[in-house]
Amino acid sequence: MSTFLQLTFSGIALGAIYALIALGFVVIYRASQVFNFAHGDLLTFGAYLMVAASAWGLPWGLALAVSLVGTGVLAAAMQHVVLRPLIGRPVFVTVIVTIFLGFLLRIAVLLTWGPDTHGQPTPWAADGAINLLGATVLYNSLATIAFGAVALGAFFLLLRYSKIGVAMRAVSQDQEAALALGLPVGRILALTWGIAGAFAALGGIGLSMFPRAVEINLAFIALAAFPAVLVGGLESMAGAVIASLLLGVLQVWAQGYVNPLLGSFGHNFHAVFPYVVMIVFLMVRPEGLFGQPRIKRV
Amino acid sequence: MPNRPLAVRYEDDFGLLAGRWERIGLAMLAALVVAYPFVATTNWITTANLALVAVTGSVGLMILTGFTGQISLGHAAFLALGAYTTAVLGTQFALPFWLLLPASGLVAAGVGLAVGPFALRLEGLYLAIVTIGLAFLTNHVLLSFPQWTGGAAGLAVPIHLGFGTESTFLSERALYAIFVVIATLAVLAARNLARSNTGRAMMAVRDHDVAAAVMGVNPARAKITAFALSSFFAGIAGGMFALQQQFITVDPPFNLLLSVQYIAMIVLGGIGTVFGAVAGALVFVFLSPVLEIVGRATPGLDQLSSSLQSTLLFALLVIGTLVFEPLGLYGLWLRIKRYFMAWPFRY
Repeated sequence: MSTFLQLTFSGIALGAIYALIALGFVVIYRASQVFNFAHGDLLTFGAYLMVAASAWGLPWGLALAVSLVGTGVLAAAMQHVVLRPLIGRPVFVTVIVTIFLGFLLRIAVLLTWGPDTHGQPTPWAADGAINLLGATVLYNSLATIAFGAVALGAFFLLLRYSKIGVAMRAVSQDQEAALALGLPVGRILALTWGIAGAFAALGGIGLSMFPRAVEINLAFIALAAFPAVLVGGLESMAGAVIASLLLGVLQVWAQGYVNPLLGSFGHNFHAVFPYVVMIVFLMVRPEGLFGQPRIKRV
Repeated sequence: MPNRPLAVRYEDDFGLLAGRWERIGLAMLAALVVAYPFVATTNWITTANLALVAVTGSVGLMILTGFTGQISLGHAAFLALGAYTTAVLGTQFALPFWLLLPASGLVAAGVGLAVGPFALRLEGLYLAIVTIGLAFLTNHVLLSFPQWTGGAAGLAVPIHLGFGTESTFLSERALYAIFVVIATLAVLAARNLARSNTGRAMMAVRDHDVAAAVMGVNPARAKITAFALSSFFAGIAGGMFALQQQFITVDPPFNLLLSVQYIAMIVLGGIGTVFGAVAGALVFVFLSPVLEIVGRATPGLDQLSSSLQSTLLFALLVIGTLVFEPLGLYGLWLRIKRYFMAWPFRY
């Protein structure tokens, strides 16, 4: 039982990271119909920036703010400089461009901060833990879950009740109509990408506190978040969050319970497990949990 | 100037070669291909062999993505299947390589047939990401049977000339001769496919699947055929790659980067044409050594590994081309042609 709880808690922590990443994808996709493959490298960038900002001697909270804002500005700049001119081009063009942008970002991070692995600085002891119903839960995992909950809650409130949130929703529904109503579409898109970038940074910081450290391969976690995005439905933010939590928990359960059953095939099986779930799920429901079904009759 | 003559009869439209200029260009290319191994150094022949592998593979992807409009980010998986078929069957049963190459194609095509039905339910980004997932699964399966595939340590690729004979070594020049024949066959096959009933059905599905279905095309059949044919070529390319490398591992090279490179090749060459697949593959591969030289000479970059250097320069090149020259090499060619046609005027 305590193993089960233990796995479930780490699953939720992983799911919270997936949720932050998946929400970044969905927010960008809804606003500019771009699936941003460079998102994973924004994660790495955010984590490294956090380490660098702490090394400058900034207190933890300020370093966090620097990392979030810095990554957000970078994402907005990416959209403005590279992706803006690609509007109206076929979908695989933006796919290729964002993937190669990711490579560029990755190399830039390598050149700036070197290939060394760093620990993520935390204001609490890195291995501090509390006992919850018989399961040991690291402060780091709790912090990640808190990050996710606070960020997602704040974002939903912003989107629902603030003027800017309404403008963001308008832009994601119809850019031309929004422009006709006098909304500054370019600036709102930049803000949307900025928020997605900040989510990525938060996810990167959470991920590098626990189970991983700050290293260049953090970006690959974004590949693992793709299934959450598609299972939730590309256009649905609530779907992305729900699917992320489900897949995070499922993945850790698979690691704990399914891997040992499969013998040599089970080695690292949990890494591909979300993809298996996604493929099976999409066969049954191609538009995902809450995506827009595409109706087509012949 | 080289211009495609206006098609006024059905024969013009169906012809394998359009007009005099294309024949002249082809003759020049053939002369170049024959003369190449006599003038090039071994390193450049190796590059040419890799380019021929890429040509075969990108022709395959062009059928799927260029003709049929199905985005696949899992092309590397079919290459991996082909490479491992050649390596594993060669090791276990000592089969000759000329039998293994078609076998690699068939194994990959079989998997492609199984994957094809996914494209019936999904399109666009959904399909692209599902194919990424299938590529991960393929790599996982390949790594899970180390007794056959050598696992993460990799596997040596034997080359047998006949059944059960000793494993031999083929020089790069010999491989070049074999690869030229295979790549030419692949290009011819794709060219013929493009003007056949099946190929036209694929293009109709790409342009508008509902309209195609109304016209009597079976979209499901077109998509699945495209998947099978595309993975057949990818499998053969994988087998060729294994023969050329003589030792293969799963990741690298068969990862997302490879799939993306193939997509970049066909997009940069010019999507939807066989010419684009060939040109894109040739430029992409022949640029690598050039970029490595540039990377070594650039201060600041020399602390990166050589593969990262060329990745960096490629990324800049690909992004630049896509942002500034949407039609790729074909667009560049059009610009040059128009400049000379209008000379001495600007336009």
